[in-house]
Amino acid sequence: MESLKLKKITSVWVITVLILFVVSIILGILMRLNQGEVISQSPVTFYSNMTTHGLTMIGIWFVAGMAAVNYLMQRYVKTSYTVNVIALVFTVVGVLMLWTSTFIGKFHAAWTFLYPLPFKEIGSATWATLLFLASLTVLGIGWLIWSISLMTQILKKYSIAQAFAWQHFKKNPKVETPPFILISMITLIGVIACLLAAVVLLVLFYAEYFSKGNFVNDALLMKNLTYFFGHTIANEMLYLGLAVIYELFSEVSGRPKWKTTWYVALAWNFTLIFVLTAFFHHLYMDFVQPEGFQIIGQLASYLASLPAAGVTVFSVFIAVYRTKIKWSLTNLLFFIGIAGWVIGGLGAVIDSTISNNIVLHNTLWVPAHFHTYNAMGNVLFSLGFFYWFSTQFSENSKVSKFTTSTLTLLLIGGIGFLLAFYFGGADSIPRRYSSYPADFPMAAPMANIGAAFATVYLIAILIFFFNISKRCLKILFSPS
Amino acid sequence: MQQQPILVLFLALAGITTIVFTYIFVSSKKAAQSEKGMSNPLKKRFWFSLILFVVLGIFTTATIPDSPYYLFADETPAKVVHVAAKQFAFVLSDKAIDPTNPSGENIELPAEELVEFRVTSLDVNHGFAIYDKSNRLITQVQAMPGYVNRLRYKFKEPGQYDILCLEYCGMAHQAMRASFIVK
Repeated sequence: MESLKLKKITSVWVITVLILFVVSIILGILMRLNQGEVISQSPVTFYSNMTTHGLTMIGIWFVAGMAAVNYLMQRYVKTSYTVNVIALVFTVVGVLMLWTSTFIGKFHAAWTFLYPLPFKEIGSATWATLLFLASLTVLGIGWLIWSISLMTQILKKYSIAQAFAWQHFKKNPKVETPPFILISMITLIGVIACLLAAVVLLVLFYAEYFSKGNFVNDALLMKNLTYFFGHTIANEMLYLGLAVIYELFSEVSGRPKWKTTWYVALAWNFTLIFVLTAFFHHLYMDFVQPEGFQIIGQLASYLASLPAAGVTVFSVFIAVYRTKIKWSLTNLLFFIGIAGWVIGGLGAVIDSTISNNIVLHNTLWVPAHFHTYNAMGNVLFSLGFFYWFSTQFSENSKVSKFTTSTLTLLLIGGIGFLLAFYFGGADSIPRRYSSYPADFPMAAPMANIGAAFATVYLIAILIFFFNISKRCLKILFSPS
Repeated sequence: MQQQPILVLFLALAGITTIVFTYIFVSSKKAAQSEKGMSNPLKKRFWFSLILFVVLGIFTTATIPDSPYYLFADETPAKVVHVAAKQFAFVLSDKAIDPTNPSGENIELPAEELVEFRVTSLDVNHGFAIYDKSNRLITQVQAMPGYVNRLRYKFKEPGQYDILCLEYCGMAHQAMRASFIVK
């Protein structure tokens, strides 16, 4: 009975994420078309759509990873169904509040809502800022409860040392920590840390709002908190996807299950440290930030790629190289997603180099690299899970010709819209401009090329959406 | 012209990654049932990680000294420009700017001499990005309320340079700009 309820709620998560994803992609395409001067939105509409697009995307792929991890965690420890429902309700309510603040209230401070912009907006309703902050509070509370609950369940079965897989540093460990548990634990700690930073950030926002000018925040502290939260959550949602890959890749490929070894344990323990300090790279251009933090930012950003490439990517290579495996849409999406993650990571490492950042920061290079590891990485990790989840209770999941053509569409659309960003970034075109000044003659045509390819990507996503949602609806309404 | 080599480097690395992933995928498709996969994977993993570590180490030591914090750090600027950013304009002045009544003037800067921009903001976070006459971003710093960021630069070419806001600051962010002349 428990697992039936879990199946049903996971189906609801999958359908919710996919619906919100389609809406958010459409908002993104509209933004590019506005930059391409094909349509004409007012700047406030453009920027409030940009705010909705950014926050919804971050939110849905975070909960997609969480829902997948929650579903698979049931294999090892009991998870709370009630908390899963609470997280779902808080997410839906939070998103509705957020959308009200942006679509109706025209709140438009971007998903990073960098202090003090939310208090100094021109053109939004007076209530919009408070509703926006309240929507984040609702989302934050729901997700914090969910993360703490999952971590508590892990710690009921495994000791702290075991959850971190420290016993694997010795020979012949008595207890084996599955890689899935290790990665989930490391990721959940990161998630909880960044959500707590978000709590502090929100409290400081509320304090200034309600003190009516008697209390003023420090802009540098607020920026550090914003990016500690924002960068870390965007990074951790990728790791949630990786936890799923460690659990499912070998399984769907018909290969022996991956085991935790000393180097897997070491890599993920280091990842925890690097991921919590890499956010400093968002403040390179704030020269008043202590130099030590800037250098730590570059080192942590570089070092974060070592365990990722040396362990995770290499493990996938070993699993696939000259090995007859059962290819299905699930592991194909995982495999392509890993490639997208690596390529986006390369763009990120280049940008995280301080001497490059000075000519790339806040140009289109930034959306270029993060769309690469999200749209062509993390999204594919989650889609792979969604597909596996929806088909495991139904018919065969062999790769048909139609699936191959859908994947081809996804790749062509994805690569095309990303290249428009990369070339724009290298051409010094600023990001987050509702329209481009005449100095950048290539900016508008490039935006339209991006929009056209993004539409191809959207078509592929819609095909997956109908395919997966149809099966999820069956699960949802099946009596057993 | 720093951006072009960066783009080429990225495209080359992305291309290599694509080739490696495709090669590995094809090797699996072609593999016979009896094939054992990669031989000595642990050893190969070690070498792969070590090479990556060394490459990243070289990159770090080569790039960190070029960070803007260390450029011209020991020199005395020939000219100081005060910059106050506000929604949605830049105020530039040779003299310190009064935040209650910010006013500026046209700025002319010497070529080949060290210039220091003392950049702050009177409201929200802004970006202070300098574009050369071919509209290429040559340097930038953030304008943050309550703080003064010092950006140092030596302009090689005379001509007009544009300043664009590169930190999203609200509804007219895309129109926030200024310019100065280098002689």
